[in-house]
Order: sequence, then structure tokens, then C-alpha cells
Amino acid sequence: MAGVLAILEQRDGVLKKVSYEVVTAARSLADRLGTGVDAIAIGPMALDATSATTFGAEEVVILADDRLTLYQPHLYLRAVVERAKAKDYGAILLSATALGKDLGPRLAARLGCPLAADVAEIEVNDGIVVSRPVYAGKAVCRAKVTAPCCVISLRPNSVTPVEQPRTATLHHAVLGLDSDRPVARTAAMKAPAEAKLDVAEAPIVVSGGRGLKEPGNFTLLEELAHALGAAAVGASRAAVDAGWRPHGDQVGQTGKTVSPGLYFAIGISGAIQHLAGMRTAKVIVAINKDKDAPIFKVADYGIVGDLFEIVPRLTQEIKKLKAGA
Amino acid sequence: MKIAVCIKRVPDTETRIKIAADGRSIDESGIKFVLNPYDEYAVEEALRRKEAAGSGEVVVIALGSDVVQETIRTALAMGVDRGVLLKTDQRVADPLVTARALVAELQTGGYDLILFGKLAIDDYHHAVGPMVAEFLGLPCVSAVVRLELGDGKGTAEREVEGGVEVVEFPLPAVLTADKGLNEPRYPALKGIMAAKKKPLEVKPVTLEPGGLEVLQLALPPERKPGRIVGEGPDAVPALIEALRAEAKVL
Amino acid sequence: MRRPLVPADYQPPLPLDQLILREPPGPEAIELDVLFVGGGPASLAGAIELARLVRRDKQEGSALGDIQIGVLEKGERLGDHCLSGAVVNPRAFRELFPELKDSDFPFGFPVRAEAVYFLSERGQVRLPTPPTMRNHGFYVASLCEIVRWLGEKAEQLGVNVFAGYPAGALLVDGQRVIGARSVPKGLDREGKPAGGYQPAADVTAKVTALGEGTRGLLTQAYFEWQRIPSQNPQIFALGVKELWETRQPLDRVIHTVGWPLPNDAFGGSFMYPLEPNVVALGLVVGLDSPDAGLDVHVLLQRMKLHPLFRQYLDGGELLEWGAKTIPEGGYYALPARRHGDGVVILGDAAGFVNVPALKGIHYAMQSGMFAARAIFRALKRGDTSAASLAEYDRMVDASFIRDDLYRTRNMRLAFKDGFYAGGIKAGLMTLTGGRFPGGRIAMLADAKAARTRAVPAPFTPDGTLTFSKVDAVFRSGNATRDTIPSHLVPGRDVPQDGAELYAHMCPAGVYEWVNGSLRINAPNCVDCKATDILGPRWTPREGGSGPRYRRM
Repeated sequence: MAGVLAILEQRDGVLKKVSYEVVTAARSLADRLGTGVDAIAIGPMALDATSATTFGAEEVVILADDRLTLYQPHLYLRAVVERAKAKDYGAILLSATALGKDLGPRLAARLGCPLAADVAEIEVNDGIVVSRPVYAGKAVCRAKVTAPCCVISLRPNSVTPVEQPRTATLHHAVLGLDSDRPVARTAAMKAPAEAKLDVAEAPIVVSGGRGLKEPGNFTLLEELAHALGAAAVGASRAAVDAGWRPHGDQVGQTGKTVSPGLYFAIGISGAIQHLAGMRTAKVIVAINKDKDAPIFKVADYGIVGDLFEIVPRLTQEIKKLKAGA
Repeated sequence: MKIAVCIKRVPDTETRIKIAADGRSIDESGIKFVLNPYDEYAVEEALRRKEAAGSGEVVVIALGSDVVQETIRTALAMGVDRGVLLKTDQRVADPLVTARALVAELQTGGYDLILFGKLAIDDYHHAVGPMVAEFLGLPCVSAVVRLELGDGKGTAEREVEGGVEVVEFPLPAVLTADKGLNEPRYPALKGIMAAKKKPLEVKPVTLEPGGLEVLQLALPPERKPGRIVGEGPDAVPALIEALRAEAKVL
Repeated sequence: MRRPLVPADYQPPLPLDQLILREPPGPEAIELDVLFVGGGPASLAGAIELARLVRRDKQEGSALGDIQIGVLEKGERLGDHCLSGAVVNPRAFRELFPELKDSDFPFGFPVRAEAVYFLSERGQVRLPTPPTMRNHGFYVASLCEIVRWLGEKAEQLGVNVFAGYPAGALLVDGQRVIGARSVPKGLDREGKPAGGYQPAADVTAKVTALGEGTRGLLTQAYFEWQRIPSQNPQIFALGVKELWETRQPLDRVIHTVGWPLPNDAFGGSFMYPLEPNVVALGLVVGLDSPDAGLDVHVLLQRMKLHPLFRQYLDGGELLEWGAKTIPEGGYYALPARRHGDGVVILGDAAGFVNVPALKGIHYAMQSGMFAARAIFRALKRGDTSAASLAEYDRMVDASFIRDDLYRTRNMRLAFKDGFYAGGIKAGLMTLTGGRFPGGRIAMLADAKAARTRAVPAPFTPDGTLTFSKVDAVFRSGNATRDTIPSHLVPGRDVPQDGAELYAHMCPAGVYEWVNGSLRINAPNCVDCKATDILGPRWTPREGGSGPRYRRM
């Protein structure tokens, strides 16, 4: 029975949290297919991939070479293709990160297998059936894999890693000679540009309102946004009117919606002009000292209390969480 | 410089989605269709590179039914020289099928550069560009936010988690464009008039069925009523746990 | 006790020097033969009729050559800025498309039953349907769908439709209109070119047909420039409309008068089934109301709570919201001539609206068709002067457009004395076919009508049946770029009274009195034109701004 291959991602030689998500998903799929899970980790010499076995991989191939410190598409691709050709796989899983979104399609083309990208759920129902968000998350598509193999990139954060240790074999593979074909090479990694994320596009928005009392207090939100990463700081119309924040940060005025995956409404009562702009956020968290504030009717989760105590605590806990990942 | 840009006709981002009667596609009545926004960056980049080179040709290629001609005309109105419609009435679920159809058209073109938008805002596969590159055996950089081209080579930047990758590549190459690469031009009235006279070739194609079959398209489940997790800063760990385990956003 | 407020005191004058440009077209100008400004039913029917006449002429071997016809439309797509009740008289469609049947046209529910009610806050009294309002044989329709359908027909005939291109000024040479100039795209808040900048484009044409709709800007400029009078100034009503998906089906066309309108305001409501479970409803109120606190949007929200409407709306869903003004001056407000050297004026822009019958679409289309015929003959003669194009006015004046407007010439105007007095007068007019009382009732322009500041009762929307203005604007599909320069030009030193009047008048929440000054939230604007009539001047902004109506 064709197995499942999990492609692991690393940074600085340490497996990223998404790798455990992928192994967990691969394990779950393999169990339902009645087969096994192999994992392949590609990275620099210092790469340590033993923890993959904690999450259910039975065989872990490690390709560690300093030429692989940065993502080199042709080399990563070659490594996985060699493995895939050596052993029969029904499904190859990787995380839909920037790397996964680049490697996945190449792999699918090379192997002639269909690609299911950014998948939130994998079912086994007379074959593999995937669910993935389409139309900017406004709809969900369920599709069946009709080919004998497939490449699946998994939506980050859609699977909770589950420890299920297996006795596993680890072996090290060797990177052969580099190609002399014309290829793209990653030359360097730069720090991210300081450009401010636009509220309309950020995956996470932390919005503040009049409850912040003074413009200077928005630094609390900036710290939270920074801790969350890829978050923009928004403001209610009241805050913008008061001149505390620029107009470009305003959420919910002209009928434009911001639709982030996660929206924090902090010190915002939820006056309708604000709600109209953020109501379609996937998950809404409200923090307000007034338990009857209208925002709590729209929020998925809320904390009642003093934001000046709650927000710093939230920032602290988020930092801890991210450091642990 | 000879540049090809592969484009797609998609529903506008502001569209409210309704599921069609067949339960597998969207109800297209009343929907506004546009040139895929990420493809606009690709078209704009192609036009700028051709203008910088002083000579050359920009061609757009699209796969779809007759209505897609309208989208090709939009690109022609921006300044593209000619368009090719690979005509099919089949709905494509598998990006490999799209990639193969495009490859058949691209491989004889002798293009210095083949551009794509990084993803289409309907399917969100984020795949066709790199797939085409693999089939053509060309170097590829995806999700490019910054581009420099020199003599027979170039350097691109792409955003990844926690940083920016700087990638060097030789030409010819395939690139997929991300937001921020440039600011696309609006077609001028003159461009719209001129577009009607530019060549638009329609080539019927037959596609294989592909390896993915859509079973169902559905709206996401209704928002459940929310809850207050607790009071004061001590409620924070419970909130984080809920965001992590329940909502899966952290 | 405050002094009555006269809105005209705070309105800046029409900037003629920016609207009538005596300069040669730029080098990038596109040359058309006929340009229609505004992509509404008048322009599109006109473009279709003209294209057909040209095509038939060509088949008969004429020497007219290739005629380029263009339509400039400020909405991103045809129909985006179109809004009407509407119950449509199909006669113009039948004349324009004799080869098609009613079932081919973009109509909704056919009208089989109708009712008129006089409402009180909690009750209703059925009134006999006035003859002017009989709609049997007509169809409920969405103007957006009509316009998109006409647009397809026009494009199939080779008409160039330029959507996303507002006309910002007329290009003239001497007294002749030679075309129009569009509005730049990609300006930042300060009006400077930013990313994607596209300068204004010039379009020249032998004949320019102005089909701008209600309170057209270039139309106003043309009439003022040419000093073309009308017996009465044009007056307007503001209509706020919503489209609902309902659980309860509606099988008839309903009109109401009375509550929630105060006695000194002219207007009424409508509720029409576009489909049995897709219901269009709205409230239309004259802008000459002496109540400075009149807020049509709020009145509509209150109105929906009345059992007559609530029985349909409960459990339903608001699909769309929008607003538009309607020219109500009728016959006496028609400009003395609706043509000039190189120009004709069509539809609502000319004032071809029959208020008591609540009809304008078929007049608009018919006027477009007449214009097309006149323009075609003018092109054949090689003479597009006023004398040549005067044929258009003659055709309109010999038609049902003139007859219908003449018959109802004083009905709306009678209401300036209040609902009851007006009702009696209107009743007499109906009975006597308009003969009594017959003489012209003089009217003031809306902005000249004084109004006293009232303190309106506070209103809290519930978010299910009733909505705030900001929520409503969201449902108009308005996605105007936030960083666009403001397109609204207020007068100097607008006092608090004035700002509060604007705040109530504007259905989209554009105006507020904040910290001692007038605050303008320009991106909210849905181009209804109420502001141009009573408040700050409206100017066109980057194409594609404003609402995106789908089935309004």
C-alpha cells in the first residue's frame, strides 16, 4: 500500500512548528489508508529532524548540507523526487508556507500528480478527498483525488500537532553535485522590509478605539501586533476623528471591509460604523470594560475588563507561545 | 524583449458568493468578472520591461471560453500587443491541466520571460506558474515583489515568513508576480479603442480530465454565537487556548 | 428660535469655467462621431437605435462611412450607478426591439394587482388607485439589469462602451459642443498624481448626447452657459431604496402616502416584487420640505416597522441599499430647448419624468431613440448644428412624452401647499385631465425654499430590520478608494444649521458637524445628487468610485 511522505521545513537547522502539523496530518491520513509515514527533512548540516518521529513518522530521511541552508528550489525538488521515485507514495504532504507554495507545484508537475493546495481538511472516502478554501475564503471546495498519487499542501494552523511516537529509522542522504542547468538560486535572505502592513490586507488586525484614552497608548497595540507578527494596527473612526491615528488605519467607514483571519477590537464599543467594516473577519476578539458593549454581540471571544491590564498580558502570553513554536 | 503573460478571468473580489444549483460551482449571474488582480502586476511588469528594452512584444495567453476574450481585451487596452485564447468550455479543477495547456502554446514562442500572477483569486492554487516552469525546464521564481533585470539574467525578491529571499536567475525564466511588484496602469481610453484592432487569436483546445474532481462547493458554516472567556488579565491564557485550539488562528 | 435656513445661501456657484472648456482637444484625444455621456437607459437606447440606423443605411449602400459611437459611464460597470423603483412601461422596448417579445426583455414580475394605501403610524386605509398610477400590463424591473442588457445589445452593434470614465467637462468651440473631457484617475488626497495615474482623456464627437441622469452636471453647465430658461426651476425628490429577500412572497405593486411623511412634505413609498421573494421598497420625498431635519433614510427605516411592510420583511435579508434624486418639476421645468450646436439632452437630465405615474425609464429610452433619429439625419446631411438637431425637440414635443407631462403638469406642484390641499388639487386635476386648476403653479428651486431647524427624534437602528447610514452605504457596494481627493465643494463658512441640514439630507452619512466645523466623508457618497441640489456641489471623481448596484 502506497505510503505517505511528509516534507519537513526547517529554519536554522530546527524543524518549524508547521513540520509537526504536516507529520500529524500525514500520520492521520496514513492510519486511515492503512499505511506508513515517511518524512524527509532538507536543510543545513546542523539539521536535527529526530523530533519528527515523536509525531508519528516511521522513517526519516535527512538531507543535510550547507548548500541547502537557504531554499534552493532545484535541489530541494531533486531530493524529494528521488525519494518519491525510490518508494511508492499515495500522498506527499507539505505545509503551504512560502516554500511549500513554491515547491508543491514543481513537485506535482515533475511527478505528474495533482496538487491540492492550502488544504484545511483531508478525508478518506473511497479515496482521498480534500477541503480547501476558495474565493478568498468565502467558500469551501471539496475535491476528490482521482489519480493514484497527489501532492497536498496543508494550510498552516489547520492541524494541531499530536504526539504519537513511533520507533523510526533515520538515515542521512547525500546531496549530489549541483546542477549545471540554468536554475534560479537563492543567494541570500534579507530582513523583512519595515513597510507597514495595510489594514485592508493584513492577516491579523489589532484595532483600537476611544477606550485607549490617549494616542500614546496605541503603543500597547503596536506591541501586541508586533508579537503576533504579520499584524496591522487599525483604528475606529472615533480614534481617527480624534486625530490619534491616520485615516489610512481606519476600519469601517466608507463601507470597505477588512477581512482578516483574526481581528482584535480593543476599547471599541462596536458602534455600527465600525462593525460594518470588520464584520467579515474570520475570528473576532473583543476586549472592553463594558460587558454590554455591542461589540461582544459580534465577537467570537471576549474578555471584559481593563484593557490596560489585559493587553500587556496578552502580548506577553503571545510572545511565550511564539517562542515555544 | 519577447514576453508572454498568462492571465485568467476571475470574479471580482467584492463578489458575494452564491452556490449554483449544481452544488459544485458558483452562481455566475450578476457577477462582475475581471482580470485576475495578481495578473495585472504581471501584465504591468511585462509592459514596463518591454518599454525599457525599447523594442519587443508582449503577448497574453488565457485559457477559457469565449467570454475570456473580454479579459484579453482589457490586457490589450493596457498596451499588450496581441492575445491568444486557448478556447475550452471545460471547467478546470486541476492546475496541472491548465499548466499543460499553456505549455503547449508557450513552448514554441521563444519567450525571454514568461510571467504569471502568483495566484488566481478564485481557485487560490498558487501553482500554475511553477508548474509551467517545470514542464518547460525553465528557472522560476514565485511571488516576486521586486525585480531587476540585466543582460541575460535577473535578481528577484520574494517575501517569506520572517524575511525576504533574494534569488538570482538566468534568462529565459518564469516569474510569478505578487502585490507590490509595481502599480498597474489603468487602460487609457485610447488604449481601449486600440485594443479592438489588435490581434486576438482563438485556438480551440481539448483538455484531459485531470486528477482532481470537485465534489462540492459550499459556503463556510454560519458564525456560531461568541462567548466571553472571562474577566480581567487572568482570562488571557483561556483566550489564547481558545484561539489556538478552537479557532486555530494562532 | 433660529432664523430659517435658505440652503442656497451656502452653495458655491456652478464653476462654469471648469465645466465648459474652450480649448482644443489634447493630442491623445479619441475621435468619435457621436458621444453619449452617461450609460443609462436614454443613452443606451439612443446608441442602439443610432447603430441600427447606420447599419441599415450601410446595407443600403450609403456613403456615410464608418460611424463610431461611444458611451462614457462613470460607474465601473454599466448599471453600477443606476437606481429606480421600478415599474416599467414596455412600450419603448417594444419599439426599439420589434423583433423581440416581452418575455425576451430584462423584466421581472408582471404587474397584475396593485394597491394604494394611506398610512398612519400603525394602520392603513386602502385608497382607490388613481388613474395616473395604473400599472396593469407593466413590469417590475431592475434598472441595473435593464441597463446591462441594453449595454450588451449596444456592444454587439459595435458601440464603444467606456465604463469607469466620468465626463468632467464639455469641450466647446465657439457655441458648439465638440466633445467631453474625462476625469483623471490615480490622484492622492491632495489631488496629486499617485500610483497608476491616468490623466483626463478627451473625446471629440460631431454630436454629444447628454444622458447624465438626474441633476446632470454638464447638463446644468450647458443650460447655464447657453442661458436656456425653463418656466419653473427644476425641483427634486430624494428616493432611498432597499432590495430585500423575503420569506413572505409579494404578489402586487404597492404605493403608500401619508405616514411617515410629515404633512408638509411631498412624497410616498413604493414596494414592488422584482420576484415574488425579492422585494424593492423605498421612500421618495420632495427636497423642498420646510423641515430642516428631514432625513429620508431614517424615515424609510421607521417605515419598515409598519405592519404593512414588516409582514414581508420579517425574517428576510437586506440585499442592497441605495439612493437617487428624481427630477419632479415636470412639464414646466423642461428647458426651452434640449438641443444646441453639436449637442442634445436626453432623459432625466432634460427632466422627462412623470411624477404622478412614477415613470421615467420609458421616456428616457424614447428620448434617446428620437435623438438617435435626429442625429442620424443630421449626420447624413453633414449638418449637426442646432437648427439641424432641432428635429429632436420636435419629435419629443409631438410625442406621448410631451402629452403625458403636460397632462400631469401641475400635480406634483400642487403639493407645495401641503398634503391635504395638494391632494384635493391633484384629485381635481386627475378628474379634469389636467385642465383644472390649469395655470402654471410657480415653484421655487429647492435650495431657495427656506426651512426651519427641527429637532428630529433620535433613531437607533436594530441592525436586522433597520440600519444606520454607514451600514447602508456598505450595502450599496460602495468601495470608493479611501485616499481619493474629495469631490464635494462646500460653500464658505457653512454654519452649524447648514451642516446639520446636510447631515440629515444626505442618505449616505457624508456630512457631519464635528468640533465646530463641517466634516465631509466624501468616500461615502453614492452620487444621489441631493448634495448638489441643497448643499455642497457634486463633481465627478475617479471612474468606478461610488456605489455598485447590482439589482437596484
